[in-house]
Amino acid sequence: MNTVTKTSAARAVDASKIYGSGDAEVRALDSINVEFASGMFTAIMGPSGSGKSTLLHVLAGLDTVTSGEVFIGDIELSTLKDKDLTLVRRDRLGFVFQSFNLIPTLNALENMTLPLSLGGRKADSAWQDEVVKAVGLGDRLGHRPNELSGGQQQRVAVARALLSKPEIVFADEPTGNLDSRSSSEVLSFMRAAVDNFGQTIVMVTHDAGAAAYADRVVFLADGSIEAELMNPTSATVLDRMKQLGG
Amino acid sequence: MWRVTLKGLLGHKLRFMLTGLAVLLGVAFMAGTLVLTDTIQVIFDDLVASVNDGTDAFVRSNEVVDSAFGEERNRVSADLLPQVRAVQGVAQAEGDLQFYAQVVDAKGEAIGNPGRGAPSFGFIWNPGRLNAYRLVAGNSPSAAGEVVIDRGTAKKGNLRVGSRVKVLSQSAPEDFKVAGIVTFGEADSPAGASVSLFTSEEAQRLSGAVGQYDGISISAVDGVSQEQMVRRIDAALSDPKVEVITGATLTKENQDQFTQQLSFFSTALLAFALISLFVGSFIIFNTFSIIVAQRTREIGLMRAIGASRSQIVKSVIAEAALVGILASAVGLGIGILLAAGLKALLAGLGIDIPAGATQVLPRTIILCLGVGTFVTIAASVLPSRKASRISPMQALRSTGSDPMKQLGRRSTIGVVITAVGIGSLLYGLFGNVGNPTLFVGIGALVVFLGVAALGPVIARPVSRLLAAPLPKLKGMVGVLARENAVRNPRRTASTAAALMIGVALVGFITIFAASIKNSIATAVDSAFTADFVVAAKGGGPPSLSGFSPDLAQKIKEVPGVGASSGLRFAGAELQGKGVFVIASDPATSTQLFDVKPESGDFKQLGINDVAVSSDRMKKEGWVLGQRISAKFPKGASTLKITAVFGMGQQAGLSDYFISLAGYDAHYTQQLDSQVYAKVADDANPRVVGRDIKKILKEYPTAELLDQEQFKATRSGQVDQILNLIYALLALAVVIALIGIANTLGLSIVERTNELGLLRAVGMTRRQLRSAIRWESVIIALLGTALGLVIAVFFGWALVTALRDQGLAGFVAPVDRLAVIVVLAGLAGVIAAILPARRAARLNVLDAISQE
Repeated sequence: MNTVTKTSAARAVDASKIYGSGDAEVRALDSINVEFASGMFTAIMGPSGSGKSTLLHVLAGLDTVTSGEVFIGDIELSTLKDKDLTLVRRDRLGFVFQSFNLIPTLNALENMTLPLSLGGRKADSAWQDEVVKAVGLGDRLGHRPNELSGGQQQRVAVARALLSKPEIVFADEPTGNLDSRSSSEVLSFMRAAVDNFGQTIVMVTHDAGAAAYADRVVFLADGSIEAELMNPTSATVLDRMKQLGG
Repeated sequence: MWRVTLKGLLGHKLRFMLTGLAVLLGVAFMAGTLVLTDTIQVIFDDLVASVNDGTDAFVRSNEVVDSAFGEERNRVSADLLPQVRAVQGVAQAEGDLQFYAQVVDAKGEAIGNPGRGAPSFGFIWNPGRLNAYRLVAGNSPSAAGEVVIDRGTAKKGNLRVGSRVKVLSQSAPEDFKVAGIVTFGEADSPAGASVSLFTSEEAQRLSGAVGQYDGISISAVDGVSQEQMVRRIDAALSDPKVEVITGATLTKENQDQFTQQLSFFSTALLAFALISLFVGSFIIFNTFSIIVAQRTREIGLMRAIGASRSQIVKSVIAEAALVGILASAVGLGIGILLAAGLKALLAGLGIDIPAGATQVLPRTIILCLGVGTFVTIAASVLPSRKASRISPMQALRSTGSDPMKQLGRRSTIGVVITAVGIGSLLYGLFGNVGNPTLFVGIGALVVFLGVAALGPVIARPVSRLLAAPLPKLKGMVGVLARENAVRNPRRTASTAAALMIGVALVGFITIFAASIKNSIATAVDSAFTADFVVAAKGGGPPSLSGFSPDLAQKIKEVPGVGASSGLRFAGAELQGKGVFVIASDPATSTQLFDVKPESGDFKQLGINDVAVSSDRMKKEGWVLGQRISAKFPKGASTLKITAVFGMGQQAGLSDYFISLAGYDAHYTQQLDSQVYAKVADDANPRVVGRDIKKILKEYPTAELLDQEQFKATRSGQVDQILNLIYALLALAVVIALIGIANTLGLSIVERTNELGLLRAVGMTRRQLRSAIRWESVIIALLGTALGLVIAVFFGWALVTALRDQGLAGFVAPVDRLAVIVVLAGLAGVIAAILPARRAARLNVLDAISQE
């Protein structure tokens, strides 16, 4: 079912996530098996309640699976204690959320370097220059989030995710709150990160247009994988969604 | 609307428990004070009433001096007794004497912790109705050398009938045989005092009152009223210096005297309770402000669906009233328990308060509930007005108001209020007003409010300054702590203001005490030329104790003592003004104290002479050789100013010196407070000291001190009071800490999303806790910094105002103030424990996705 083109950056093996019990039992993830290849931009799609966000959260170490295993590289997350899990997030993963992405008391540059400085590290300055240039904020690096537009804020969030050179970046509806112009700015930036820097990105979205920026689309329904699509376009994604009845 | 209020309360139980706690503690303190003092009052009133139970009339001298040392009255001649007994209707009349008599046990220890605990008295044993004591063993004293003691003293000293004891009084120490043991009603002793009873002759001899009594107690036959008795005796006596009062009047007078002393104590405690409540009001204000801000959407929605402004105001105030009433009620209950506990504690310290029902007067209940509720409601008025200004439109917008608006106006208002406060304070201190305490107290209060109003303006720059080293020290955690501390300057400032008050008072009292200690040291260094001083152990109570002049005589006879003198402190009226007088031996005084004689001859001080400081001479416009009127316990007289000296009250001494012979002539009791000695040039001070110590074996209440030790014991006494005040202020500081914890807790709720994000991108729990801890420390240090600035100002103002009353100058004890800063920082750490733990436990995913 899964296509593995390169080495896997993250994978879930027989992973289940069950909420409640008895009649109220909800299987958010139902023995799912999926791998995400390095250097690839993957979009996860599916209707509400399909488990796409849950999948992202367990892969990112923000939530735990009820059974099965989740790996980041070779590290199995379900056995880790909170502290080690936190360090995995800090040193190996990057995050972009739909909103509340930035700390309001820190300026754009401080927000970008936050995971690094939490680890007491500094960004490689050449790399930082490159990311800062790519994020296209120019002289607004010293501004606080409330002085930036929504698109700018999300680009800062992406830059933060990239700056620590993580093994994988997870993005949860990163353009969900943006207008179409800002959305394409953010998505292009993410696309460029994959193309130019070989970054691995896994993005949850419900927007076919956003999914079209990815290399591969995984469709979820009822906690398991329904279908997938390589080199998608908006049209092929919409087409497949129709087929799946979403 | 009421349902919404109630639901709001129930929905945030912890928050309201913390807010309530701020009120509760202050109210408990207040209730405890009132209940305790009322209870002691009733117990003591009963005690006095039962002492005077059989007394229908009392004859005494009308010559009296009322000074800082209490009321001192002349004695009456024993010749009056037969005259009184001859009056028709007198069933019994007996002479009374009350004097210093300290029982010493077989081991040579003074019984009953003199210098700390209850006093030790000697009395005449009177038979029949005029005796308040009940024999439980042995017999009444019937001969010279016999004493009857109270059962408390007997138990403490392990004494029984037939035991030999030594008794210290104003005559030389003497051996007595315990003839009997008494109780005071059911109690072992009256309020823990040590009592010894003697025959009339022995009592007169021991108190230097041969042929005299303090007064005569009269018991009337049945059918003769107290008033009738007084009238008959009054008619029978012709001495114009004698007055007759009823037993009821005597009881009332004694009770009133005690009430006055007790009210000083209760007023002081109530002041500290009010300080705690004042600090608590900041916490309440802060909590309600934050809650209103957090509920902006909810309130906006209520406005949108038709709630009026006044309904919003009422709902917030109703919430406050409910919290206030509940907290005050619980505080009242705790206060009552606290009073019982304090009574037990006092008993443990040897202050034996006889059994008596705990007094919870209606006044206590009304005052505690009223003040607690009022403070809570008053503190919520501003937040409620703010709530009412929320527009329905704000229901739609997200929270987060602009905290910097109106700061310009605020700084003007703050500066004006602070200036008014400073003005009132300085006016009270330097303005020669009738009621300085009022102006100073209100001034201090207004300064606090003014600085609190200025707080939001100062908070940001000062916090940034205080937190400047943090980013270097703690990296990103430090940056976050600093930014969080300054992100809402209003909130930070009002949280810090609560601690500011406590720190200001602690710092002020520390500075004041250091200045006093410095003055003592300066005075001792400059005026103390003796080598040794014999003083009461532990300082000693101010009146009705001391040493027999026999001690000074014996020290004088020690080989190698060059000069010595007993020293007595007394109150007198000079030219109609109550003053503090020192009596010493004029022949040796100038060798023992460097009083810096200026004119006249100190050595020539006779019975009716006085030496006056040059400061006082200038102030009063007196000249050497002038005669001034004086009033002493033994009557009025005229004193001649025979000498003028330089080191008066300013140097910690007195503006007036009289001779010991003068004291003998003008005062009834003859006890030395201290004895000074200077070693002769050719003698070895160590040998002399050793010889004096040998004499002191007979005087277990005395200790020998050299200059340095004397300084140290005096400083020790100041430290004792200082520690007591620290303990009383501790509550205000604890309440301020609850405030910091409360604010942090509420802030964390507001920042849930942010905390989730931080945790998601890799902040460890430990780092998160650390950031909150440092934020708390910054707030605490902000309060401390502001508090210390105020403390230095208050301290400087008071010390300067008291300069002519013996304070040498302003001293800021840097080491102690540094300790305050460190402790405040630690307090910040403690206040952060719970909020930090709560924040660290947040589920990352829930936190991020929280709306």
